[in-house]
Amino acid sequence: MIFDLELNCVGKVYDNGTPAVIDFNLSVSKGEFIAFLGPSGCGKTTTLRMIAGFEGISSGDMLIRGERVNDVPPQRRPTSMIFQNYALFPHMSVRRNVGYGLEVKGVAKADREAKVDRILATLGLEDIAERKPEKLSGGQRQRIALARGLVVEPDILLLDEPLGALDANLRKAIQNELKLLQKSLGVTFIFVTHAQSEALALSDRIVVMNQGRVEQVSPPHQLYTRPNTPFVAQFIGRNTVLPGEVAGSEGEDVVVTTGIGTLSGRANGALANRRRVNLVVPAEAIEVHAADEGVLAGAKNRIDARIERSEVVGHIAHLTARLQDGRAVSLEAHVDKYRPGAFPAGTPVLLSWNPAEATVIPAH
Amino acid sequence: MNASGIKLGLGFYTALFIVFLYGPLAILAVLSFQIGPEGGPQFPIIEWSTYWYKHLFGLTPPSRIAPLPIEQALVRSLALAVMTMIVSTVLGVTAAQAFRKKFRGSGVVFYLIVLGMMVPGVLVGLGMALVANTLGIDRHWWGTAFVLHVVYTFPFAFLVMLAIFNRFDPSVEEAAWSLGVTPARTFRKVTFPLIFPGVLSAMLFAFTLSYDEFSRTLFASGRDLTLPLAIYGTFSVEVHPNVFAFGVLTTLFSFALLGTYAVLMGLSVRRAKRVAIQEEA
Repeated sequence: MIFDLELNCVGKVYDNGTPAVIDFNLSVSKGEFIAFLGPSGCGKTTTLRMIAGFEGISSGDMLIRGERVNDVPPQRRPTSMIFQNYALFPHMSVRRNVGYGLEVKGVAKADREAKVDRILATLGLEDIAERKPEKLSGGQRQRIALARGLVVEPDILLLDEPLGALDANLRKAIQNELKLLQKSLGVTFIFVTHAQSEALALSDRIVVMNQGRVEQVSPPHQLYTRPNTPFVAQFIGRNTVLPGEVAGSEGEDVVVTTGIGTLSGRANGALANRRRVNLVVPAEAIEVHAADEGVLAGAKNRIDARIERSEVVGHIAHLTARLQDGRAVSLEAHVDKYRPGAFPAGTPVLLSWNPAEATVIPAH
Repeated sequence: MNASGIKLGLGFYTALFIVFLYGPLAILAVLSFQIGPEGGPQFPIIEWSTYWYKHLFGLTPPSRIAPLPIEQALVRSLALAVMTMIVSTVLGVTAAQAFRKKFRGSGVVFYLIVLGMMVPGVLVGLGMALVANTLGIDRHWWGTAFVLHVVYTFPFAFLVMLAIFNRFDPSVEEAAWSLGVTPARTFRKVTFPLIFPGVLSAMLFAFTLSYDEFSRTLFASGRDLTLPLAIYGTFSVEVHPNVFAFGVLTTLFSFALLGTYAVLMGLSVRRAKRVAIQEEA
């Protein structure tokens, strides 16, 4: 099978010796929507720029549709890039901006105009086709950039934080359009973002990066519910990470001895006989009970805590509880579950969770 | 002191500053309208006349005051300024483009280029004369002097373009590459139109600096004089208001040049708009 994009042990070291990307491996099928997600400086944009050909590759191989492109200059790669600042040509009209890629490829004028008209119509830009980009709004310029990148029919569309410069409402709207557009065109999208909500909402698979390394490559739901590494557990969602040692197993569950008692969760893949592990508990998986309920006697995954703070934001209640060892735990649920004032600060409580919803991962 | 008082004070100061800046020029302009040939370059104005302007163009009856020997010098200076402008601007743009990426020794090269506008002109001129002498090269305004003019004006063009590129968004070029445009075509069709106002400024700098140049040209131009040298030559005998009349004309010419610059600048913006609309029609 030929992948649209393959990265085999791709690495990038800057001239001053700083490694920016280390051993990046990824295979992307045609029509996949991939997000590179990570904090600033994690190497996600550098990787995208290596795919576009703007940055050289220090080690490893990059293949597009089975062909090695390490030394192919950007203008000869079947990729097209959308920039965060859109990078439209300020001296050209919207129509000419969009048609320029076809013009230099020598596409006949009639054919070119037809293609430009079609993409302008798809993105709702017909009315502003003769205008200059500088006079247009952020959302319009974003669409022009998309039209310009897509009209040349690239194999892979690269998007560098394309929604970063838009306000929140517009971002939501364009996010939906982007997803629909990608599905209908069947073009492979590689999307760089530092906003997990964007990555989780849009992509088929998410590549989480940290300090130049790939931490995890998973579909959004799996990434959210089954993190592989402590970094992902901290970066995605609101998890409590409890270090401990493997004590044994009970059916599918792994039993972990921690500083605050014996707890259990589901192992994510093989633990490879690791003894030192982390138990990752999502904020929304934890149940809160009054300390004197008593019905929980004998139940597993029970820890004593004291409510420290509670606040309601819209329909979500956020609680913070303090464990006996001083560790803070985040809890989250629909407001119906924790009515405002149900657990005032200082209330002693019992926390518990279903072992299937907690994940045991190796500690580094 | 209240705010309006400060405003008034600053306004007065600025007015005074402008008077000092342009006063001498205004006095030259006034004196150029002195009656001739008996009137000299001093007050009071005996009688208002355009005698010295006519004298410049040889329209007055012969008198003891020789016409300014500037005809050929003017042509030479204009030709030299145009040559210098073209070469320095091309060098300035390409050198600044090269400096957008750091390269080995870029620091040294930068200072070598900038040195051209910092070293004293008399020294460079003298040096050039000595070198030419030693190597047996004849000194000409279009040879040795031209080289010095380029060495002198190239750094100005270079620094102007460096500043322009500093504010230039390179992602526009990357966007073009990623659309399949070759780097050479990207430079012509995307980069150059966007930096064109800067190129015009660099040209203006190179032209005016070369047209005015005195100290370097003094030693390096050989027998045939450029305009500043020719005018200086007339001072050593006696100063007549015909020099002032010529100064006024030169200043008007400079204003015309600046006007052309402004018009071109405006056109370059308008043209870009029109081209964009035409080519898609």
